[in-house]
Amino acid sequence: MRDSSARLRLPDFCSGPAAVAVILIVVLTAVVLSLARQTELLVLWVDLARTALFLLWIGLGCTAVLCAMRTRLEALPIPEAAMLAVGAIVVVVSAVSAAALWLGSSEFIGSLADSLLFPSRPWRFLVTNMAIGAIVGALALRYFYVLGEWQRNVELQARARVHSLQARIRPHFLYNSMNTIAALTRTDPSLAEEAVQDLADLFRANLSDLRGSITLREELQVARIYQRIEQLRLGERLQVVWNLSELPMHAQVPSLLLQPLLENAIYHGIEPQRNGGVVTVDGSLEGDMIGLTVTNPLAEDGQLGHAGHRLALANIRERMELMYQGRASVDAGPSGSEYIVRLRFPAGL
Amino acid sequence: MQRVLIADDELPARERLGRLLAELGGRELAGECGAGDEAVRLAGELRPDVVLLDVRMPGMSGLEAARHMALLPAPPAVIFTTAYDEYAVEAFEAEAVDYLLKPVRAERLATALERATRVAASKLERVAGVGWAQAIRTHVAARLRDTVKLIPIREIYYFSADQKYTTVRHVGGTDLIEDSLRSLEEELATLFVRVHRNALVNVQQLAAIERDGDGQYEVVLRDIGERLRVSRRLAGELRGHLGI
Repeated sequence: MRDSSARLRLPDFCSGPAAVAVILIVVLTAVVLSLARQTELLVLWVDLARTALFLLWIGLGCTAVLCAMRTRLEALPIPEAAMLAVGAIVVVVSAVSAAALWLGSSEFIGSLADSLLFPSRPWRFLVTNMAIGAIVGALALRYFYVLGEWQRNVELQARARVHSLQARIRPHFLYNSMNTIAALTRTDPSLAEEAVQDLADLFRANLSDLRGSITLREELQVARIYQRIEQLRLGERLQVVWNLSELPMHAQVPSLLLQPLLENAIYHGIEPQRNGGVVTVDGSLEGDMIGLTVTNPLAEDGQLGHAGHRLALANIRERMELMYQGRASVDAGPSGSEYIVRLRFPAGL
Repeated sequence: MQRVLIADDELPARERLGRLLAELGGRELAGECGAGDEAVRLAGELRPDVVLLDVRMPGMSGLEAARHMALLPAPPAVIFTTAYDEYAVEAFEAEAVDYLLKPVRAERLATALERATRVAASKLERVAGVGWAQAIRTHVAARLRDTVKLIPIREIYYFSADQKYTTVRHVGGTDLIEDSLRSLEEELATLFVRVHRNALVNVQQLAAIERDGDGQYEVVLRDIGERLRVSRRLAGELRGHLGI
């Protein structure tokens, strides 16, 4: 997940909105340059007109070049991509400047125009323009980059929220639990009462806003409540081994980090087995990184390709990315006769 | 007296259905079990009138179990029980085999049992086929005198066909089944490979291709060492499977 975020994401310069933004930047730059240079009103207008005309060519040229380079820029790491983009802008600036110089010195137009319209000192003109182009270009790219990152973040948040709604506890779990409780009300009313309380707590945790964070202790409590309910249903077929004594219980984690993993482990690893099996939850602390591992026996029901399973993992990945921004990792896959999910995230934010 | 078999992998679910049956009266609990293949076996042994069959079970899904039960001399009526309605439940209903959503209501169970008469085997098979796309079958079934014998797919060495029957050669011996080689080939395409017009072999069992004295191609099976004739046309394809 670190890989995908470390790219220079620029707007699509081949599209209308980006071109309009470039034109706006170009015109504002022309205004700034003219204001700085001229004090007399009449001269200011003439200067603004020719500067704007000149810069518009540069702006449109840059847009076209960046549009053409887009895929190449996105394949490079950020520093290289930024250098390349600014370099391209400077090249366009030099080319347009050279064209303006050539036009001014050509006999036909040069003789018509007065000195106000065309530059007189070629080398200074060229170098000044390249410097201004590099500075304004870098600022504009920075602006587009920050804007893009901000939009991406907003999108990520929205998507995480949608997924969190989708990834709530599987409906069949609710119905199966209700079925268990219906059976228990006659055979063991006090156990049924406990189960109802557990189910209420679990759904309270599940229906709360998943964007928030809770302590590891609270998250483990939710997971254990979930285990208790499943235990009633599956009996001796389900065994869960917890090895979590090493963990700092006050660490903040995204809510519903562990419970969906436990749910997957039981749904794919235990329920399809006639004689059940063991789910192991291991916690470790290495430096300031917490590791959480959930292991279940691999059944033949295709846990790997299962849509619900992938969705739960994608959801956890997104919420960890939001909270830890590239400092967390989620790995999942089969290993021998087991299926293992490994989470790693910082103990303190 | 209607005799009912309950198949569900969750003990509380079985207990509850058993209790509901007792309270309804006029029904007898013929037996109960917690896995799909056991349900098929018990349906043959106990000859219940009705099976209450959970859709998701270890061993074999309820949908597959229903399909194998259809081969019994007197197939029971099947009522699916399920917590999820994602299995095309309307289709079950259209085929007149009922389904019940958990937790099951006593009234619904009573109605379903009243409606449940012995369902024609063909109908049961059609119904089970509805959920087929989601549930790859794990067994083939051989019809015996008054029960069906389930043969796990992974224990099968090969299928061979003569004019009328398909023979299964498997760990436990040899049996006749009613599926055609063509339908087996389609359904088990990833696991079995055609070596000849009349033989379908478990890919895991392919050990080598050899030529006999007459220049005929033969495939050697890994575990039992038997040789099967390979048609010239399929020999090349088979080499691909063997990686030679």
